[in-house]
Amino acid sequence: MSRPVALLGMILSATLAVPALAQDQDWSTIRIATEGAYAPWNFTDASGELVGFELDLARNLCERMEAECEIVAQAWDGIIPALQAGKYDAIMAGMSITDERKEVITFSRDYAATPAKFVVLKDSPMADFSTEMERINLAEVSDEEQAAVGQLVEQFRGMSIGVQTATTHENFLREYLGEEADIRTYDTQENLDLDLQAGRVDAALASMSYWVPLLEGDDGAEFTMVGPAMTGGPFGEGVGVGIRMEDQALADKFTAAIDEAIADGTVKELAEEWFGFDASAK
Amino acid sequence: MDLSLLVWGDAGWSDEMLRGALMTLAVATAAYAFSILVGSLFAACKLSSWLILRLLADVYTTVVRGIPELLIIYLVFFGGGVLLRSVASGIFGFEGYIDPPLFVTGLVCIGVSAGAYNTEVIRGAVQAVPRGQIEAAKAIGMSTGQRFWRVLLPQTARYALPGLGNVWQLTLKETSLISVIGLVEIMRQAAVAAGSTKEPFTFYLVAAVLYLGLTSLSNQGFRRAEVWANRGVRYG
Repeated sequence: MSRPVALLGMILSATLAVPALAQDQDWSTIRIATEGAYAPWNFTDASGELVGFELDLARNLCERMEAECEIVAQAWDGIIPALQAGKYDAIMAGMSITDERKEVITFSRDYAATPAKFVVLKDSPMADFSTEMERINLAEVSDEEQAAVGQLVEQFRGMSIGVQTATTHENFLREYLGEEADIRTYDTQENLDLDLQAGRVDAALASMSYWVPLLEGDDGAEFTMVGPAMTGGPFGEGVGVGIRMEDQALADKFTAAIDEAIADGTVKELAEEWFGFDASAK
Repeated sequence: MDLSLLVWGDAGWSDEMLRGALMTLAVATAAYAFSILVGSLFAACKLSSWLILRLLADVYTTVVRGIPELLIIYLVFFGGGVLLRSVASGIFGFEGYIDPPLFVTGLVCIGVSAGAYNTEVIRGAVQAVPRGQIEAAKAIGMSTGQRFWRVLLPQTARYALPGLGNVWQLTLKETSLISVIGLVEIMRQAAVAAGSTKEPFTFYLVAAVLYLGLTSLSNQGFRRAEVWANRGVRYG
């Protein structure tokens, strides 16, 4: 290596760079990025502190992985490119595991999934509808779950169901109730809510993270959630930790820690604290 | 609009928003100073008798003014780290991630862009100084340095001021784009507060007021500077 080049390199690194942020192969320190503006998943309180479901979960997972974690806030635009550029090692920002994202980064297993639920008017004949099972994961359907799906199909036979267009919820309805029910699509969730209110559709399907706050407010005072909470299958793979492709070992570490945290009920507890319902992955 | 969100201290967002405004001002000021330096340098290149320097300056102003600011930010922010890393591993065998500090990245991104506009402003101002004055200065025996300090610079500054004021205002607003790199200035702070409280209208309105405050204050400053620079000029 020639001396001028080395000199140039030294000048470059001295003036522009803060070196020594070396990548740890043993992952005793992990830098995690979150958005800090997506309540209640991750947000910032009025004192400027990062708080939320994913902040608590990240600290818990880091303890399990015996890692020193640094959590940084990064705007959602560019959160994946900055991961690839090595600004941090993991993303926990309410990021759903999708096929498009899996082409550029890898994911840990899912830690949360906001289940889908049906909503009807409180004075509807379906207002008391429930299935044997409270939660159904459509990824691997057990016999009991199959029975609950059967109940669901029977209940909605001949009914009209509204859903927002181009969503995973529409995919579910087409796949499971396409023959039995009259499926009506809406460009926005708000328009669907208005039609449900007016009785133009019998039921609506959307994510619990949308319904829970709505039903607490005045706009949803006449609505009630019915039936099982559904995840998996057509509803997608849930929310996971985003990791660089080449750091599969880190993804595996996260997966193991998440498995533990789900098994001992930590994720459920945190989800109930922050969302008001169990949004943990199953 | 819920005004209780805007109280000072840990219970409200006023202190955070003001800190964001100070960051915007700091980045804009530093980037602007950098852009005047860059602008003067490339303006000198444009007016140089060396073809290669003129070409270099032409490429700079054409490319930088021709591509969106956001793209420059992405290139410097994401590309800069990768470039440094390959330099570090190629030359020093240092394996790992290197990051230029965020503030420096933001400063360089905004400064490089504003510098291209300032290049043209300064070049135009230099050319507006009548040639005859330089010739007259030569005729009475002023040295090159004297000609620069006493004749060229004061008049160039006067001609350049309105244009420089324009670029300053652009610079101030362009800092909003660097929120994508995670530097917490007005826009990023407003987005964080809006997402955390679900009150977007309140916080984006506050952001607009802060930008307006900064631009109108600095406009006032540039107007005074222009009055001062023109104090010895008689019109008509």
